[in-house]
Formats: sequence, structure tokens, C-alpha cells
Amino acid sequence: MTDTAAPTSLARLQRINKIGGVLTVLTLLGAILWAFPLYWGVITTFKPEQDVVREGVEFWPERFTFESYSHVLFQTKIGLWYLNSLVTSLITTLLVLVMSAAAGYAISQMNFPGRRVLWWVILASFMVPIPALIVNHFVLMSQLRLLNTWSGVILPQLIAPVTVMIYKQFFDSVPKDFREAAVMDGATEWQLLFRLYLPMNWGITTALGIITFIGAWNAFLWPFLAVTTEDKMNVTVGITQVTDAFGVKYARQLASAVLAGLPVAAVYLIFQRRVTQAIMLTAGIKG
Amino acid sequence: MASVDLKDITKRFGAVEVIKGLNLTVADGSFCALLGPSGCGKSTLLRMIAGLEDITSGDASIGGTVVTHVEPAKRGVAMVFQSYALYPHLTVAQNISFSLSLAGASKAAQAEAAGRIARMLQLEALMDRRPAQLSGGQRQRVAIGRALVRDPKVFLFDEPLSNLDALLRVQMRLELAKLHSDLKTTMIYVTHDQVEAMTLADKIVVLDKGVIQQAGSPLEMYNTPANRFVAGFIGSPAMNFLPARARMAPGGLEVTLPGATPLTLPARKVQDFTGDRAVTLGIRPEHLKITAADQAQVSGTVTVVEYLGNTTYVYVDTPHGPVIVESDEAVGTQTGQTLNLSLDLSQVHVFDETGMAWAKRG
Repeated sequence: MTDTAAPTSLARLQRINKIGGVLTVLTLLGAILWAFPLYWGVITTFKPEQDVVREGVEFWPERFTFESYSHVLFQTKIGLWYLNSLVTSLITTLLVLVMSAAAGYAISQMNFPGRRVLWWVILASFMVPIPALIVNHFVLMSQLRLLNTWSGVILPQLIAPVTVMIYKQFFDSVPKDFREAAVMDGATEWQLLFRLYLPMNWGITTALGIITFIGAWNAFLWPFLAVTTEDKMNVTVGITQVTDAFGVKYARQLASAVLAGLPVAAVYLIFQRRVTQAIMLTAGIKG
Repeated sequence: MASVDLKDITKRFGAVEVIKGLNLTVADGSFCALLGPSGCGKSTLLRMIAGLEDITSGDASIGGTVVTHVEPAKRGVAMVFQSYALYPHLTVAQNISFSLSLAGASKAAQAEAAGRIARMLQLEALMDRRPAQLSGGQRQRVAIGRALVRDPKVFLFDEPLSNLDALLRVQMRLELAKLHSDLKTTMIYVTHDQVEAMTLADKIVVLDKGVIQQAGSPLEMYNTPANRFVAGFIGSPAMNFLPARARMAPGGLEVTLPGATPLTLPARKVQDFTGDRAVTLGIRPEHLKITAADQAQVSGTVTVVEYLGNTTYVYVDTPHGPVIVESDEAVGTQTGQTLNLSLDLSQVHVFDETGMAWAKRG
């Protein structure tokens, strides 16, 4: 029995090995397909403009230059755009977290008339795609005279039902003994939220903060509509201005795109684990 | 320190009435155990005293002040939870001084109070640890420390030892007893463990289905249970119950087990009773004696023998139902063997058809 069993299991192992090999090759091909445009974009930024538009495929720059970066950094308002992005993204993140945590806490832990209705409204708002509201947002911001201001960029981005849902879900899972012990200790609702529920869920707050920040930094459509003056543009919108009288300069455009994406890439690399956690959380809610 | 008075307390959850018109006074400085099976309403009662549950009707007073509608933190009570409820993100020192921190006390005052409590509970070496780094007993002490720091008039304990292993439970029980003797603060202690109640409390309140079945000292509960429920609940192993008929005879109250010789119970208080009635006899395992066949009042077959070292429990199937015998003389008893038993008639409890104690010892 052992004599026949051994070759069978060996054959099975070899078959699994082959399948594994094929899968590895396919995955590698997928990774190359995904990474190639990124690689192409980055090496293009180091080419002189005339080399970029020249015929033929050049996988490595024949001549290296930092002219594109020099142009973007010193001839455009990218510093200001960075500042606008940083301020609007940070304020958006902070407000989204505070408001979502407070809303999630109220719906999860407090008893008040209309709590259930409010929860259904938040759930329903999740079904409405944000682009569907963009005209309303534009009209509203225009009427409030907030176009071309940081506030005008920030306010419509504060609609974050997913964040509220995640906070509610986590606050629901905190054992009620903690709340009751704190109530016996004399905690008010604000103290319960800020000294108990939020600190006990710092991991979630960090994860949501990072993903909200990345989302706000990468936002394009709304900041593009809400801002027309170059001084108030976010970096995502500002890079569309990197043109000159002779039209699009690819190396410069791509250099500005690389510079715009760098902070997000850095945030992602530093907080990789938290970002993955946040994506899984939001995916869990969406699922 | 303060007494706790509960007057006509009722608690309803929707249509379900879990506490039914309860009246109870816990004397200033006493240690009162609320004892009863799961779902009897003991924790709900404690939570109503704490202010964590609204009182549907009736009034609760602490130290003579009605606190029925007063916020939990302003009642002058502190509670130790079954789960300890230690804040996981705070150190031991921060956990202990949390209430002071909420009240805006200075850092120095918080440190001083936490240090004082730590010395009292021997927690000094653990002050910088978080709850996850503590053992069960240490967590329990921190939870007590968090209650102590508030200097409450009344301590409330909600099954605080139920998460500990048997050895630690005994140790913590002693520490709680010592704490009460040192502080002399009123303590109300919820438990379903009658050993905890018997050893710690100077007053036990037995609850069933939201009604007080009996309140009294531990020995009073053990020796003179008010009804069959209390008799069966207090004592381990539980009291044996045997169906019988009772009638007055010239020598006193006579009880007869089915198919057995009548037994005369000495010194019983029975008023206006003639004829005979169905009763239930209650006899504790230690009051059944192994005897010779010619002196046996009850006989049966041994089903299980449990040797505990200091004593032996023998489970016997009799024609009147199963009984447990606690005896030092049962060593060597074999399963399947016939055992002859005699009842210590002075220790027999009699319960009427409604389950209430009847014909009590005079």
C-alpha cells in the first residue's frame, strides 16, 4: 500500500508545484502590467522634452535631466498648491473624524427621539453617489460665496457616512460595563466620547484618519470645480496648469504628477498596515 | 457611611416585572449579600441602587436621602463590576484616579490619592502597568481601588469574584472581608455563590423571581429557612426533601414517610392543627446518619460516592426519592450497596403544601 501511495502523492505534489509556478508567472505579469505605466511615467520625467516626443520606444533615458522638476518646483505655484492641499486635507480629516466619531457615538450609545430615523438617513445617504450631488454642492457653495476658498473645498468633503458607520460599529462593540463604570465615576457624554470611547478605539481612528487624508489629498473633481483661481488650487488641480504657450509638456506634466503623488505615497509607505486595515474596514461596511 | 432603604421598589422591562414591590433596609456599615439564582433580579436591584437602571416605581434612599432620580455619580456609591471594567488604555494609576481626573482634580491630588489606595491594596509595584498586564486577582484589586478612591458611602459589588479561579476566589474573599472590617463602610454584594454570601455577609437577602424570599443572618438562613426555596438554595450539598404526611399525636407532631413507621418530631410549634396534611420534610445531608438495618428510618441503594478527603457524600436512591448523605463514616461504601439511614429528628424541617416552613422548632 505504501509503495503505491508514495508515487501518487509525489505526482500530486508535482502537479500542485506546476500550478503554483503558472500562478506565480501570471501574478508577475500582472504586476509588470500594473507597474509599467508608473515606471514609464517616472523615467519620462528625467528625459528632455524633445526625447519624450521622439519616435521609438526608449526604456531608459538616453540623457538624464532634472529640468522638468526644476521647472515645476521653481516656475509654478506648486508650493502654494501643496499648502492648499495640506490645509484642506488636514482640516477635512480632522472634521470628518470628530463629526463621525460624535455621530457614531450618539447613534450607538445615546437614547434620543429620532435616533433610528437618523441612522437610516445616514445609511440612505451612503447609497447616493457624491458626484450626483456635485451640482447642488456647487450652487450651495456659490450662494454661500465660498467658491475659491478653503472652506468651499472642505465643506462638501465632510459627507462621510462610511466613517460614521464604522465608528458606530466599533462603539457598539465596547462592553457596556466600561460606559457604566465611567458614568459611576462621573463622566459626562463628552468625557465618555473623548476619554473613553475614542482612546479605546485609537487604531480605528488612525486608520480612518489616514484613509480620509489620502482621499482628501487625491480629490480632484470637487476641488477642480470649486476653485478657479490658481492661488487657491490644490496640488491635484494645480498640476493641470503646468502648460505653456506651446501646449502640453509631457515631462513637466508627469514631474508635477509625481510630486503631487509623493506625499500620499509617503503616507502610505509609513502607515501601510493601518491603510490596509482601513480599506478592509470600509470594504466590510460596503460588503 | 450610610444605610440603604428600598421602599416598594418595582422594576419592569416592558411587560415583564423583574422586581415586585420590594422593601429592604441595609443597615449602616453592614455587609449585605443579595443571593439568588440567575434571573432572580439581584443584579437589577443592585443597578437600581447604583442608578444605572431606572426605578419603575418606589423609592431608594441612601443615608436618609431619596436618590431615586439622582445621577449615579452623585449618589455617593461606587461599584465593582463582574468584568472589573478597567479601562484598557489607562495604567493602573490612571484607572484608580480616573474619577478624580474627570472631576478636574490636580495631577498632584490624583497621584496622592492613587498612591494612598495602592499602599492599602498593595498595588504600588503595578502602578505603571496596563490592565492587560495584570493577573485576575490584581485586576480585581485595581477595580476595588477605583471604587475606594471615590470614598463612597456605599460599596456595590456585582459578582466580583466570579471570574477568578477557586484558589484566588478564596484569597480575594478574605481580602474583601478584611476590607470591610477596616473600612466599616456599607457594602452590598451580589452573588449566586452561597459560600461567598455565607462567609462574607452579616445579612443575606435571598431573592427569587424578583421577590425577597428571606432576609437574615447567614446562620438564621441556614438553620431556619422561611420556605422550601431558601432551604434548597442555602447549603451545599442542598437540603434533601422527602414527601410525608403529618398529624398531631399525643407525643407531639407525627410525620410519616410513605410506607414507613411514623416519626415524632420533638418540640414543634403547631397551632390549631387537627387531622392530617401533606407536608415535605427537609433534612440536610449532615443530619442523615448511616445506621444499622433495625434502626433505619429510610433505606436505599447507593448510586454515587464522592470522597472529599475531610468528608464523604453518598448519593442514595430511596423509595421516597434521591437523597444525599454527608458522613465521615461512609468510607468504604460501594455503589449498588444498600444503605440504612436515620434522621436527626430535631433537625428535620417541615414545609406545608405551599412550600412555607411549618411546625418550626420551638
